[in-house]
Amino acid sequence: MKNQGRTLLQKDGTKTVLASLLSIVIGLAVGSILVLVVGLFSDNLGMASAWEGIRLIFFGILSTGRNTSGSLTWGFNPQSIGNMLFRATPLILTGLSVSVAFKTGLFNIGAPGQYLMGTMVTLAIALGIPVSALPSPVIWLLAFLGGMLAGALWGCIPGLVKALLNINEVLACIMTNWIAANLVTWFFDANKMFQNTVENTKSSYVYKTAYGRTMVDGAWTYVDGSGVQTAKLGLDKIFPGSQVNAGILIAILIAVGVYILMTKTTLGYQLKACGSNRHAARYAGINDKRNIVLSMAIAGALSGAGASLYYLAGNTEFFWQTYQSLPAAGFNGIPVALLAANNPIGVIFTGCFMSMLNIVGLQLTNLTAYNEYITDVIISVIVYLSAFSLLIKMLLSSRKKGKPAQAAPDSPAEVKAVEEASAEKGGERA
Amino acid sequence: MRTMESENIIEMLHITKEFPGIIANDDITLQLRRGEIHALLGENGAGKSTLMSVLFGLYQPEKGIIKKNGQEVKIHDPNDATALGIGMVHQHFKLIEVFTVLDNIILGAETTKMGFLQKKEARAKVEALSERYGLKVDLDAKVEDITVGMQQRVEILKMLYRDNEILIFDEPTAVLTPQEIDELMTTMKEFAKEGKSILFISHKLNEIMAVSDRVTVLRKGKYIGTVDAKDTDKQSLSNMMVGRPVQLEVTKAPARPGEAVLDVRELCVPSRSHKKNAVNHVSFQARAGEILCIAGIDGNGQTELVHGLTGLEKSSGGTVTLCGEDISHASIKHRGANMSHIPEDRHKHGLVLDFTLEQNLVLQRFNEKRFQTHGFINQGAVREYAGQLIEQYDVRSGQGPVTMARSMSGGNQQKAIIAREVDREKPLIVAVQPTRGLDVGAIEYIHGQLVAERDRGRAVLLVSLELDEVMSLSDRILVMYEGEIVGELDPKQTTVQELGLYMAGAKRMDRSGKEEKGA
Amino acid sequence: MTFLIQQTLLYAVPLMIVALAGVFAERSGIINLALEGIMIFGAFIGVLFVNMMQGFALFHDAFAAKSWLTLQGLELLAMLAAGVMGAVFSLLLSFASVNLKADQTIGGTALNLMAPALVLFLIRIIANQNTLGMAEGDAASWFMIKKSTFGIDRKTDLGFLGETFINKVYLATYVCILLFVVLSVLLYKTKFGLRLRSCGENPQAADSLGINVYKMRYAGTTISGALAGMGGFVYALTTANCASTGDVAGFGFLALAVMIFGNWKPLNIAGAALLFGLFKCIAASYASIDINGDGVCMLASAPISSHVYRMLPYIITLVVLAFTSKKSRAPKAEGIPYDKGQR
Repeated sequence: MKNQGRTLLQKDGTKTVLASLLSIVIGLAVGSILVLVVGLFSDNLGMASAWEGIRLIFFGILSTGRNTSGSLTWGFNPQSIGNMLFRATPLILTGLSVSVAFKTGLFNIGAPGQYLMGTMVTLAIALGIPVSALPSPVIWLLAFLGGMLAGALWGCIPGLVKALLNINEVLACIMTNWIAANLVTWFFDANKMFQNTVENTKSSYVYKTAYGRTMVDGAWTYVDGSGVQTAKLGLDKIFPGSQVNAGILIAILIAVGVYILMTKTTLGYQLKACGSNRHAARYAGINDKRNIVLSMAIAGALSGAGASLYYLAGNTEFFWQTYQSLPAAGFNGIPVALLAANNPIGVIFTGCFMSMLNIVGLQLTNLTAYNEYITDVIISVIVYLSAFSLLIKMLLSSRKKGKPAQAAPDSPAEVKAVEEASAEKGGERA
Repeated sequence: MRTMESENIIEMLHITKEFPGIIANDDITLQLRRGEIHALLGENGAGKSTLMSVLFGLYQPEKGIIKKNGQEVKIHDPNDATALGIGMVHQHFKLIEVFTVLDNIILGAETTKMGFLQKKEARAKVEALSERYGLKVDLDAKVEDITVGMQQRVEILKMLYRDNEILIFDEPTAVLTPQEIDELMTTMKEFAKEGKSILFISHKLNEIMAVSDRVTVLRKGKYIGTVDAKDTDKQSLSNMMVGRPVQLEVTKAPARPGEAVLDVRELCVPSRSHKKNAVNHVSFQARAGEILCIAGIDGNGQTELVHGLTGLEKSSGGTVTLCGEDISHASIKHRGANMSHIPEDRHKHGLVLDFTLEQNLVLQRFNEKRFQTHGFINQGAVREYAGQLIEQYDVRSGQGPVTMARSMSGGNQQKAIIAREVDREKPLIVAVQPTRGLDVGAIEYIHGQLVAERDRGRAVLLVSLELDEVMSLSDRILVMYEGEIVGELDPKQTTVQELGLYMAGAKRMDRSGKEEKGA
Repeated sequence: MTFLIQQTLLYAVPLMIVALAGVFAERSGIINLALEGIMIFGAFIGVLFVNMMQGFALFHDAFAAKSWLTLQGLELLAMLAAGVMGAVFSLLLSFASVNLKADQTIGGTALNLMAPALVLFLIRIIANQNTLGMAEGDAASWFMIKKSTFGIDRKTDLGFLGETFINKVYLATYVCILLFVVLSVLLYKTKFGLRLRSCGENPQAADSLGINVYKMRYAGTTISGALAGMGGFVYALTTANCASTGDVAGFGFLALAVMIFGNWKPLNIAGAALLFGLFKCIAASYASIDINGDGVCMLASAPISSHVYRMLPYIITLVVLAFTSKKSRAPKAEGIPYDKGQR
């Protein structure tokens, strides 16, 4: 009996992975079809370029550009892979953010806002504290923690209104997103010291502080000094030419930490209990409201951490006029979490996959007449598919057994339980 | 002369309906004569509702045919059933709560002009019907604002509005007061007299004997037999239904009540659906070593009373004292220190269905030292404890402690909850409808457990809607009616009939325990 | 004042129509979180339609000859195209939530991600930039109804009502108001409306009365998609100079808030939309609103940062939701997939 159960569980895990892989393949296929259709119907594109586009969609990460005769070349591209790891860093963290909230039964569509608030505070600390005042690793740490805290506080808002006033967290998150977008713009607009001196729509570079941006006699000047940006830990040697740094390692560590939190601790147990059945959690004396707020705070902190790690890299640019658009890194946490079935370890891989798509998009823009938005289409298809991932899983299992697809409970007992459940649902009145 | 074929208005022949892994109806034959009241008797899960769903077009049978007036018919959906004149009052009413009564009656059978609703004609027709059968309803009231009895009349009017001649009543009396039940019986007889044919689903023998002409008995999905009501009696019907003589008596020694464990004074709990108090100035004591039962018809404030005691709902007045400590405003967790609670709705409150059995078994206790160190769960200790409870309380499941609660049968889910709550060894056990929807074996087991807990000196507060359970299990009965306690009875010295009068609000006692007249 | 009312209407009317779109979906039992995405998509289709039609001699000449009737016809056709394609796009949501019993929140989010991606992908290929506008001229010169439209001299004063509701307005605004009224009647006075509403409250009951819940939910979501698509185009036409940028700045979500604030009832929604329209209007044009007509723009001269005005609609939404959430009553069965097998 027990052995049977274990293989079943294993099967369930495999099915989840297979379902995700299937979603990915379908998503890429839809993207390819779109490229093909556009290529065929467009005057200036054509079949050959469509074929290039499709190949890039699938293998763009291995693209090394074009050779002198103009055809695509392929091979190991350390720069692409390094950049993939770098860009995966914020995606893993926003993915974790969304999945932690999911486990508590909340849809954290507020990751973009939390990400922006994290960005703002991180940059303010990293650029605002002169390296002469504190050792740069301390500034780095303060900036990182500050970003997390800002994200956490911003996540608390939808959490609080959900817990206390029962407002749909999705709407509350959307509103806080736009409020954050305006707040951040306001902040950088009002504080010229954080603007880039050359292009004032950008923030200053963090890495410039590596050459020491400090206050002398009431004015900012550049002097020599140690950098505030994230250490590379030799990763730049492995992937020369890329932006990769220790941030990806921190993200992986945090993912493992979240995994432990959710599966091994009483806090994780409470969060999951609230997520699966808020009524039962309350019945058992678990403070559901506190847990909702806590879950959103953790989610916000994770999003904020994502922003911190991205912008503390030093050579990333932040365009602070955000009031008309929200950062994609926040929204893309949703597909990252869904594709990983909210498993924190899985998020590491799906985060990397999403950033790979990102790189693919850049390759498409650089090498063909197509543009990077095709990868957003692919991502949205994947999200669409994950909305009914359960069905895909069922299809997969029925395919294996060769039975018709049906939500067939395995035993009479289950049928009874299901029937009772639906009967009681129907019977819930007044 | 009538032939056999025309005598039966509906024939369901050799119906077999399977669900994955279970045969809900196994070769069942049911013949309904024109103008008769035909009872369909069986325990929970015997297949009555499935059979009726097949007749109403909600399910398609794997085998068997349905005939109307001797002609074979196919019923694919409720539309087909309606076209054949078949109507059904479902056990759980199929009403739209925010719609008016009139809208509910016409929904699906609207009269329209160019797509616009013509409510005037409909209103006239419904008013005529309501007059003719004495089915009083307020056509402009919203369904959510009317009583359950009136809601049922709306359901009946829905059938009449569609000119149905075959009326199915699925457990119609479960939600009614005894007086409303009498009215319903009269109405049903009137329908039969007019030539309408009635299928009456029930597991209450009194009602079946009182109203039906013939009885068909099902047991565990199988056809047992059809008998004339006048040729049989309750005992033999009961034997047919359960397959062995029923033993409703619970064997228990006389209670030896001790000190009051729970002292409730003037407790008020606001209602969620209306502005009045759902629990209105209720006072009572529950003593150690007794089973105190709160009886009453569903919806008279029992649920809110329990929520007020356990903290799921905030009270608006009065005090609750548990083991000498005022817990009127304490948190749920704090109250849990001296109270276990077997909740009314095991899926809503009792279990986290997507957790494993072992996780559910420590739902309140995961924070105890035994099960965690510095916030990390001691997986080993939880597993060991779960194994111990599973063995001790005979909770059966596919994979032991790691079974998903969702995949367990209703009886075993309930056993798991009882195991968890009883094992917490608290001085007060609040048990709300602990046997609802369970089979006889599970019911007996749970009754035994509650009696055993009583004998170990715990106070048991039992809320039950089943009169048999109230009478056989309790040591003392409090009757709730419209949010107030209207009577305190001794089960040894009262009758079901008297209890029914209190439950229906026809009788009540004043505070001193004396009977008031004509409340 | 005239300016304020006109500007408010420009924002309020699309909000109203898109909020009604939400009502049709939710009253049938489907949470349509994708309003935002459908708006983006509808705006793109409408703008693309206009852009392409401008290439035809018929419309080109009509513009040159100031044949307003033809141009208004073009505007209506573009609305229709946006509505039809919005409905088609929303089928993705209906299919996922009705046939596949998918999580409607995630399905809606997918559409919200898909619309801007798809639109921007296509715009970049068509226009080689991130914005798709009209091929020539602007919305005001092609579509706006002015005094000259009726051959009235520019200097004639039409009185307050005339100046406000006839001069410098778009036909689309009035078409939307008309549609709003017609559809509200449809929802409350017809058999179809009664049945649709029953599916959002108690689909089991509806099914037992022979109503096809799946069909009704498809109908509700499709109407919702058509209205949102149309609303998206009207928004782009009247407030963004008939340009599509793959973004409507959370307008679809504001519409959802309006719907909740309006308690899923058309009349309340109309009121709520006006209120929100006013705030949105203040946010967009605080610098040029002259409330009492003395030539001083009070809001701009007040010592309040422009960022505050921009944030205002979102903050107000949160506050309003906070105050109304306890009273609001959503359709009972919304968001729950209906499964015929489990009744």
